[in-house]
Amino acid sequence: MAAPLVLVILVAVTVRAVLYRSSLAAFISERVEVASPLNAWKRVVEGLALLDLGVSPYSGAIFHETPLIIYLFHFLIEYAELVFMITDVLTAVALYLAIQDFNKVVFKKQKLLIELDKYAPDVAELIQTPMEMHYIPLKVALFYLLNPYTVMSCVAKSTCAINNTVIAFFILATIKGSAFLSAVFLALATYQSLYPLTLFAPALLYLLQRQFIPIKLKSKSFWLYTMQYAALYLCSLVVIICLSFFLLNSWDFIPSVYGFILSVPDLTPNIGLFWYFFAEMFEHFSLFFVCVFQINVFFYTIPLAIKLKEHPVFFMFVQIAIISIFKSYPTVGDIALYMAFLPVWSHLYRFLRNIFILSCVLIVCSLLFPVLWHLWIYAGSANSNFYYAITLTFNIGQILLISDYFYAFLRREYYLTHGLHLTRQDGTEAMLVLK
Amino acid sequence: MAAAVPAVCRIRAAAAAAATLLLGCCGAALTSSIQDQAEQFFRSGHTNNWAVLVCTSRFWFNYRHVANTLSVYRSVKRLGIPDSHIVLMLADDMACNPRNPKPATVFSHKNMELNVYGDDVEVDYRSYEVTVENFLRVLTGRIPPSTPRSKRLLSDDRSNILIYMTGHGGNGFLKFQDSEEITNVELADAFEQMWQKRRYNELLFIIDTCQGASMYERFYSPNIMALASSQVGEDSLSHQPDLGIGVHLMDRYTFYVLEFLEEIHPASQTNMNDLFQVCPKSLCVSTPGHRTDLFQRDPQNVLITDFFGSVRKVEITTETISLDHDLAGFASKLPKDELATEPLKYAEQLPVAQIIHQKPKQKDWHPPGGFILGLWALIIMVFFKTYGIKHMKHIF
Repeated sequence: MAAPLVLVILVAVTVRAVLYRSSLAAFISERVEVASPLNAWKRVVEGLALLDLGVSPYSGAIFHETPLIIYLFHFLIEYAELVFMITDVLTAVALYLAIQDFNKVVFKKQKLLIELDKYAPDVAELIQTPMEMHYIPLKVALFYLLNPYTVMSCVAKSTCAINNTVIAFFILATIKGSAFLSAVFLALATYQSLYPLTLFAPALLYLLQRQFIPIKLKSKSFWLYTMQYAALYLCSLVVIICLSFFLLNSWDFIPSVYGFILSVPDLTPNIGLFWYFFAEMFEHFSLFFVCVFQINVFFYTIPLAIKLKEHPVFFMFVQIAIISIFKSYPTVGDIALYMAFLPVWSHLYRFLRNIFILSCVLIVCSLLFPVLWHLWIYAGSANSNFYYAITLTFNIGQILLISDYFYAFLRREYYLTHGLHLTRQDGTEAMLVLK
Repeated sequence: MAAAVPAVCRIRAAAAAAATLLLGCCGAALTSSIQDQAEQFFRSGHTNNWAVLVCTSRFWFNYRHVANTLSVYRSVKRLGIPDSHIVLMLADDMACNPRNPKPATVFSHKNMELNVYGDDVEVDYRSYEVTVENFLRVLTGRIPPSTPRSKRLLSDDRSNILIYMTGHGGNGFLKFQDSEEITNVELADAFEQMWQKRRYNELLFIIDTCQGASMYERFYSPNIMALASSQVGEDSLSHQPDLGIGVHLMDRYTFYVLEFLEEIHPASQTNMNDLFQVCPKSLCVSTPGHRTDLFQRDPQNVLITDFFGSVRKVEITTETISLDHDLAGFASKLPKDELATEPLKYAEQLPVAQIIHQKPKQKDWHPPGGFILGLWALIIMVFFKTYGIKHMKHIF
């Protein structure tokens, strides 16, 4: 499987290199859908230039990257394009290896459950076979590398790609079972953009499952392992933050990075939900609504953990999707990450109800973003409501996509244990309804 | 008979001698007076005159500011400066204002004695064109190429420029058009730019606003003389209202300056000291001020017509006058250091050769050693923790 992967990588790198040298590169790097105030390349260059002039890059509201990014790009700024191509390739390879291992785990679990007779007799067509699962890792890598969103994000040199790489390595470490590495990468991901904090729960669930520790609140080993993992995570986070202090000998980066993410002062339009709302809000209420919006990201973790505790990787997928929809400055690079996982759940296709409408919505909205931006900003014949309408529709499309997959997943699980042909007590056919 | 002839001859000879003596004396006196007059020819260093007259306020109740400016315009034009050398900036049109009961007139005396608008006024910057930016562009010459000649101040280093400004002002600023201000620092810098570009020989700055003296406090360029109608903390007051027109017609200071200037004709020898006495406190209520410390010549020797008129000294004579190398008046009055010309050269050109070769930028900031050490130590620790300590032997 290495050869097709290498081929895919080569094609992806060629596409990116061609786009870098074309005139589209400048156009793409200025699009607000691709570059947000948090991860725009222009701001990285500005911050490094300020540093060369002897001024802290965090003075003023231009630069919102972490000190480790400063360190990375201080030496690599001339090779920026190479760096971003390499990060994309690393993400794809990490996802490839992770999904390969995950498939083995799924398959083993399936075999165990079949032998234990946990499945109903008539669900043969729902069982995943190695044949159809053989190409899934390649498809995942393909989906990530050749997704137009990823390509645009790479051409724009948005540091979202680096965040995606760290999250991909975190997923790889989790699926391989190494709690230490997974905690370290999760700490790095949280350090860069605050929201991967919510991925702590699915990672913990997965590692517990791997260690065969039952997830009961009264179990001592459960709490012990949780404490260990939490301690590893928090310690690495603290160490990284303290190390960042020594780069510039100041704590300036904390309000500039985390304060900025949490308090959303910059209301440049993007594909998220925050900007329009806060542009028209009175000062008096802005704190309250900022809290409400931020809680929205973290809120779904506990209910999903309770429902999906047997399926932590799916939980991780849903959680990443929720982060990229509800975070304060989303870009298409975040979307590309969770869309890369879609081939893993391709066996759910028969249960997806709205997939046609959703794909149309997503494609049309992506095409309409630049159109309505042009109409609003350049032609002056539209206004921000038009652009926000498309943002809303796009996000609704994403939310429906996630909930569709969620429903399909749960439905399949139900069918697996209760059989495909459900009957009510009186023998007539029953319908499965999500309540 | 013989005795009479020698007597007559003697008398004739004596008369002739006296006549030649007288003629000689007269000739000497004439030559020396011509010498004096020739000296006078070089007394002032200018060859042409310009005037920039600015009225900065709009609205009908600021009629007096327009009348102020137009009176100075009238005097200056009467004394010989042509319209092509006058830049007249009026922020509002009073003559054709719908509230003017006497259209096409602007009066400066009550009872409508003197119409300063006349019938040959040429306003160069009118209405909304009178802005701080346009004023500064006129002064410094940084004007877009499409500007017509009548809107340009095409002075050179032998020009004497009269700058008259009136309007509403305060301590350190002058208000333009009710929406923006020019500060005394900006004005001083504009004059310095003019000096550096050799755009004037001498400059007379007159300002008639409240607290006008604050506007000339910051000048630092040579050859500037400044007059103001009031000191810092005082208001300049208006002269008299006309009940027929309904507004105050003139400000006091400019009213008395106008009366003073009406007495001047192109050949007057009145000097600046008289102008300084023009409006004593009894008449003006405010205390006019002046500043001459930047001016090289003694104000006693500066004629009013050096600035307010365009006077050409022409003397026709058949005598031969030899100009001495060291004309006493000329050398001593012009100091050697400030006006001594260093060769004028262009500004520093860009270092093109360097730019072409595009040397890589030197990075000045480096991450501190402690940080790098800590980071790599952490990375190595993570590596060994994950893959076991047994790999250490491969490194060392």
